[in-house]
Formats: sequence, structure tokens, C-alpha cells
Amino acid sequence: MALGKVYPSPEEALADVFDGATILVGGAVGAGLPENLLRALSNGGARGLTLVYSAGAGSISSTAGNSSGKSSIESLVMEGRVSRIISPMPFPPNAGGQIEDSWRQGEIQIEILPQGVLAERLRAGGAGLGGVFLPTALGTRFQEGRERREIDGKSYLLETPLKADFALLKARAADTFGSLVYQGSGRNWGPVMAMAARIGVAEVGRICEPGGLDPEAVVTPGIFVNRLVECP
Amino acid sequence: MASRLDDHQIALRVLRELHPGQTIALGTGLPSTLCRVAAPDVGLRFLAESGVLGYQGSSQGATGSPGVFGSDGSPVSLLPGSSLNSLDETAAMLRGGHVDFAVVQPAQVDSQGSFTHWTSAATPGLHAPGTSLDLAAGARRLVAMMHHTAADGSSNIVGECRGVIDGAACVDLIVTDLAVISVSPDFGNSKEGLVLTEVAPGWRADDLVALTDAPLKVSPNLTEMRFDSISGPVPEKVPEKVYTSGPLAVGDIPDGATIMIDGFAGPGGMAHYLLVSLRDQGAKDLTIISNTAGIARVINFGTPPGRQAIDHSILIDNNQVRKAIASYPVSPSVSRPSAFELAYRKGDVELELVPQGTLAERLRAGGAGIGGFYTPTGVGTLIAEGKETRTIEGKEYLLERGLRADYCLIRGYKADTLGNVVYRGTSRNFNSVMAPAAAVTIVEVDEIVAPGDLDPELIVTPGIYVSRVVRRPPEFSAYE
Amino acid sequence: MPADKQRLEREVVAMRVAKELPDGGYVNLGIGIPTLVSGFVAEDSVVFYHSESGVLNCGPLADEGEEDIDLINAGGQFLQPVPGMVFFSTVDGFAMIRGGHVDVTVLGAHQVSAKGDLANWMLPERGVGNIGGAMDLAAGAKQVIVAMEHTDRHNHSKIVEECDYPITGKACVSLIVTDLAVMQPTEQGLVLKEVAPGWTPEEVQELTGARLILAPDLKEYEL
Repeated sequence: MALGKVYPSPEEALADVFDGATILVGGAVGAGLPENLLRALSNGGARGLTLVYSAGAGSISSTAGNSSGKSSIESLVMEGRVSRIISPMPFPPNAGGQIEDSWRQGEIQIEILPQGVLAERLRAGGAGLGGVFLPTALGTRFQEGRERREIDGKSYLLETPLKADFALLKARAADTFGSLVYQGSGRNWGPVMAMAARIGVAEVGRICEPGGLDPEAVVTPGIFVNRLVECP
Repeated sequence: MASRLDDHQIALRVLRELHPGQTIALGTGLPSTLCRVAAPDVGLRFLAESGVLGYQGSSQGATGSPGVFGSDGSPVSLLPGSSLNSLDETAAMLRGGHVDFAVVQPAQVDSQGSFTHWTSAATPGLHAPGTSLDLAAGARRLVAMMHHTAADGSSNIVGECRGVIDGAACVDLIVTDLAVISVSPDFGNSKEGLVLTEVAPGWRADDLVALTDAPLKVSPNLTEMRFDSISGPVPEKVPEKVYTSGPLAVGDIPDGATIMIDGFAGPGGMAHYLLVSLRDQGAKDLTIISNTAGIARVINFGTPPGRQAIDHSILIDNNQVRKAIASYPVSPSVSRPSAFELAYRKGDVELELVPQGTLAERLRAGGAGIGGFYTPTGVGTLIAEGKETRTIEGKEYLLERGLRADYCLIRGYKADTLGNVVYRGTSRNFNSVMAPAAAVTIVEVDEIVAPGDLDPELIVTPGIYVSRVVRRPPEFSAYE
Repeated sequence: MPADKQRLEREVVAMRVAKELPDGGYVNLGIGIPTLVSGFVAEDSVVFYHSESGVLNCGPLADEGEEDIDLINAGGQFLQPVPGMVFFSTVDGFAMIRGGHVDVTVLGAHQVSAKGDLANWMLPERGVGNIGGAMDLAAGAKQVIVAMEHTDRHNHSKIVEECDYPITGKACVSLIVTDLAVMQPTEQGLVLKEVAPGWTPEEVQELTGARLILAPDLKEYEL
């Protein structure tokens, strides 16, 4: 069988990340951040990356296992490897660190969008929709440049799908078919980012044979996950 | 001058707005403290957009449940009946109008009820809103929890926000360390004024008018702020979701109602007991939204040999159905027509045919507060007639709209008394998609258990989407 | 007369289609000949089956007496529980389809046009039909293969220049495998790639309602 979803190391799982790739980074406020994959991304050479991540993923509070005192995303930014960030909260308010500095110096671009809008744009990308009409952000700066539409007496803004080349995810366990289960709030961005990326890569605490996960408990089916690395 | 309230007291005052059984989404900053202040037994269901519903703040130094974090990233504890969700799901709960309350911490609120979120103010030039727009757009009632004045003494309550707007005309109530101010709801849709309804102990209305940089009307019923908890002298009860019988659970379905019924085609995943109860109840002129319009009994779809399953046909035969919205309405066999097809040929029922994936997506949109979406499905077919088509990045799409119903009859495997549901095998299919899309969702299960008896990682339909739970009697047969 | 000549068995058509399934790919099989395809996938190859009933990685059918009403495929057949199965909702199942995550779908058809239009959901004389998941599969699967008999029971070609039945999707079919031939719809027209053993391209053309372009490497059915 030519299945081979299991990779021996994070570096090998991300060996083909190319210059200019768009990369979704899972995790939020303390849970689900794929630190091992981010480190491998940092060890690779790709430049000009677009990173998409949520509140908390860029912050110092998520540096478990990182001795540099900077988050992995900060390190990537500091190395000049990131050209663009799409995020509802790219760095912590009042403590922006390296990411804020690089942005203020014009070294990286940042696109801000509401968190739920990001989630729905990713889902639209993963689910093959051409766009979705959301009620979020009416009357705010985010409605600029967006089509406004009345549907059944309510106003909505048209949001476009967002797709990516890679998604870096963290899960509690996987089977070799790529199906994932998460732990606690670590689930956050995993399911929707896995859908929206061409290549879903997950670091997981444990990889088991098919049948090792309760089929009712699987949250992200293996169809959305292309590569697995065991990081106990 | 009297002292200002501390954050704990502000939190206590906000909690007085809430009622047992309600769901409250918490923003970052001050609101994230509410889950630590509220007693776990008052029946409030806190929602953190990061993906946990029904949690309790951990006391100082405690570790909380493994891997579970609240809206500010600090550890929290799951309570019996908690469920875990992905971020797109929690955003859908908010947008879909399923959350009773949201609490945000604005840097500024203006007299229209528009606000600038604290994170936008604290990221100058970038204005990162985090989750605040989702909370503002979605919750039925929005509370601004904040300090009345900034560090330099200037008012945080202003005539018009000077910074970016993160929510337009959406704040219903402002609770500060000095006062409670309602954003006047009585002017139709435009919120035209701030009314001072309560002041902190030792403060006078005049003090507040002077400290507030916006026109402030003083309520004739002005009172002093109180901080006693909601479990006070007359404890309110969490509304009961468990119904003792099918007939009671469907008793109020009126003639002309729109009802979602799942079961991919049945019998697995179909709420047979509720269907029979609805047949016996007799409501007429119903519109049913369902994958099929009842085919299991004519072709034995998914039916063990020698059995004949109950399906939608019992409603058709009883002349209760006026219209079906379905993807697979008739038997695949011309020679074995279903009750629906016979009625359709006679002109007794109408049919709206929807591709299966479009039906699922329209239901999701209905439940998730999405007005419509562009799908590639059905382009160039009869389904496209009368619909807007649009080319997006070289690909053609159809505009489809969200779909909602008055009632939804779904079939789970087990539910807890808070309405959390788990399914079994392929019987999940449309059930979990429909549950959020109806005003009243009624679940039929084999077993009703206590909160905490279902693994929060396994809950598929959170109780926020479920109004009524009924147990299928063990002696009830899905077959005739 | 070509009409009287021996045509391929349904199983042979399924066997030919099975060769098209990518190793490690995600596949959705429709009802009829498509259902048979899974029986002919090479033993050293892994194919993941997706069903709109809400299950991924499904396997063989359940034995008699082992039926579980909570474990069915989209055709209402009972499945065996197999290791690695995953259950999901309909909305997730169709996100997989429309989102381009399903590599191949194999469907039956009433008609297929030379340009690859598919008609498989309604017989006009009945006045009502079932779409089910067909339109989403036609629009969303990366590759749509039609497996069917070449002609209907009145010996009319099911392959036509333009569909006169209501269509399921436009220009969506990438390969047609029948009991007579393997054909590929292209913008230039329908390319005949393989013919059943004992049949000439001329005989196939005679039973085909669209003009066939002979492939330069036209060959006998390859199994």
C-alpha cells in the first residue's frame, strides 16, 4: 500500500514547504499550538511565508519547550522568513514583541480580520464554497470593500474562501489513516484548518493502528490529514 | 469621594443580569473573570470562543481540566455537561443567535451603543479585534463590562467613539466600576441614548453625569448597584428540557409549522417515536424538511430483512403534509411509489428539490447565522433556475440561502438532561446539522443520563441547540 | 448485427473502473455497477471509501443476521464495522465532496454527452426524481467516472451529443466506462480509447449517439 502518512520527523514532514507558501498554524491561547512543526519550519529554509493563525498563537505565553524566550512564530518573523500574517490577533495587546516591531518597521504585512470570519472563510475554502454571507462586522471597518446584501430582511457581508498550502496542527492522537482526536480546547482550529489546506500536517502525541481510535470520537477524519508525526 | 468598585464587584453586578440555564460568551480581559466569580451551581453556561461550553473558572493556582482553557487562555475546569467544540463551531453558535449573552470589555462605548474593543485600542495602528466582533454580532444581548474612566481620568463612555468601531450599535448594557447604564432600547432599531439606572454605593447621579463624556439621562427609578449573587433569596431553576413523553414533546406543534425530520432515509437515525406522536397529535399543513420524503418502507432502505420501518409516510397518509423540501423524495423504483409520490401525482403535496449537499449546507447556514453562500453544486441544471449565478475566480457558483424551521425532530443515541447528544454510527448524518437550525429542537434518545455521564470530547450536538429531550420507550417498535 | 454481439459483464466493467482508482485515494461509489468496483481493487492497493451516509473508510457489507441499522452506506446496505472507520455529519460529508477532498466518484448515468455533461437524476416521463448526492459529487469530486451499460433497454445509446434528460452537472465526466468501450469526453468531442474484445470501433460507433474520435493509441479493453 502506498499510504505513508506517517513521517519520521517534523523536518521531513515539512521538507517541501516552498518559498511563498501559505501556512495555517493551529492552536490558540495556550492550547493546540504545533510547537514541533513550527520549530521544523524554522529549521527549514522557506522564505516569504504567509502565516495564518489565531489569537495567542503568536504570543510568548505559548513558548513551552522553547528556550529562546520567543515564540516560534516570533522566531520565524525575526529570521525574516515571514512576509505576511493573517490573524485576528497577531500579537498580544500591549506586548507585541518581535512581530509588532517587524510590522512597524514595514518588514511584514498584517491583515487583520475578526476571528469568527477567519474560521468561516477557512471553512468555505475547505468545503468548496465560493463565498459566504455573514452578519459579522456590519458597520465596522471590515465592511469596506465587501459586498453588502440584504437576505430575507437582514444585512450580510460577502466573505471569500481562504485556502492554504499547508496546515500545521496538533492533536492528542491519530490513527495511521490520519484521523485525529484532540484534547480539551486544543481542538480549536484543528478541524477547520485541516479542511482548508492542501496538505494537512499534524503532530500528535500517539499514532495508533486503524481501530485504535473510537470511530465516534474522531473529530478530524483522515481525509483532511496528509501527514503525521509522532511527538510524544 | 466614595471608592470605585473593584473588578470582582463589577463582575458580581454583571452576573445579576444572568439567569440559570443561559449561555454567556465571555470576551477577553475583564469578562474572562466572570467564570471565576460565578458559583458553579447557579446553572450558567459559559462559552469561550476557543471551544469550551459550560465551564467554571479555576481558583487561584489550580490547574483546571487537562488542556482546557478559557477565553483569556487561563486554565478552567469542565463542569458536568460541558462540551468541547472547534472554533468554527463556537463562532457558529454566536452568529446563529444561540448565545443569550455576551460580555465584552470595550475601551470606549458611545451613546449609540457602538464600541471600540480594548484589544483594538491596545494595538495602535493595527486594531486587532480578536473575538470581539463575533461576540458583538451574535449574542442576543451584549453587555459592556469596563472601567468608567481611563487612567488619565477621561471618560470611556463617549458621545461618539474616537477609535475604530468593533461593534456598531450593539451594546445593550454598560456595567462599570461606577454605574450601570442602559443603552436605550426604546427607539426602534436606533439606540439613541444612555440612561443611568444604577450608581455605585456612595455615588450620586450628578457625579456620574460629570464623569461621563456623553449625554446621560438619569432614570427616574435610579437605584444603588447591588452585588448579591443570582442564587439569592429566591433561587431560579434551570428550565427543564426532559419531557416525559413524545405526545408532550410535540404537543405544541401548530398547523402550518415547518419541521425538520432526519434519518438519512431511515430507519437508523429517524425519530420514529416523535413521528408517531406527531401523527397522533394531528397538526396539518406541515412543511417537512428532510433528506427523503419517506422511502424506507417501500424499498426497505437500511431495514433488516422481514421488517417494515415507520417513516414520513405515516404523516403523508394522515394528510398532514403540504410540502416537502428534500433531496431524495421518492422511491428509486418507479414500480414501488411511496406515499409521498402518490400524493404528489395527485397534486396534494408540493415538492422543493434540493441537492443533498446543498440541503446540508443550507441547514448549516440557517443554524450558523449565515444568510447565504455560493456553491458549485447544481450549476447548469434545473436547480439553477431562478437563482443567481456568479463566476468567482473562474468557477461558476449558485447562490443558495440558509434554511431554518420551527421544529426539528432528531434521533440521538443518548442525551444528558442538559440536552447534550451523542449519536451512533451513520445515524448522525443530518441530525447534528438540523439541530441548530430550528427554533425548537426535540431529541428522541434511547437513554437520558445525568450531566457528566457523556464524555465532553464525544458530544456531537451541544445542549445549546436542544430544547427538549424525550426517551423512546423501550417497548416502542420502529417497525410496523 | 452489433446489437446481438456479446457485451462485457457488469463485473468486467467494474474491474476496468477499479484500475482507475488511485492508491491511497478517497473514493465515493454510486449505486449499480459502481458498487461492484470495490470488489476489484488490487490487493496491494489501499482505497478509502466515502459514503454520503456519513462514514469514511468503510469496508465490506455486513453478513445476514449481522445488520445494524446505525451502520449503512448511502445505498441503504448494511456495513461491517471495520478498523479505522470514521463517522461524521452530512454537512461534513459534503464539505469533503465539494471541497475537492474526494479524489474519484464512480456514478451510473441515464445519459452522458460527448462534452461530459451527466444526466442521472431524473427520467422525464416520471415527472419527479431524486438528486441525492449526485449533483454535489458531479460538481465537487476531483474526477467523475461514469460506469454504465452503453445502451438502455430499448438499445438506445446512453451516450449522446447533447443530453435531453435533465442534467446533473455540466462537463463534469472525465471518463466513461461501458460494456462496450472506454471513452473520454474532451472539448473537441468524445475520444474512443478502448473497445471491448471482439468489437471494432465502427461497431461501437454504430451504437453510440455521439461522434467518436479514435484515440491514436486506441486499444482493446485493458484489464
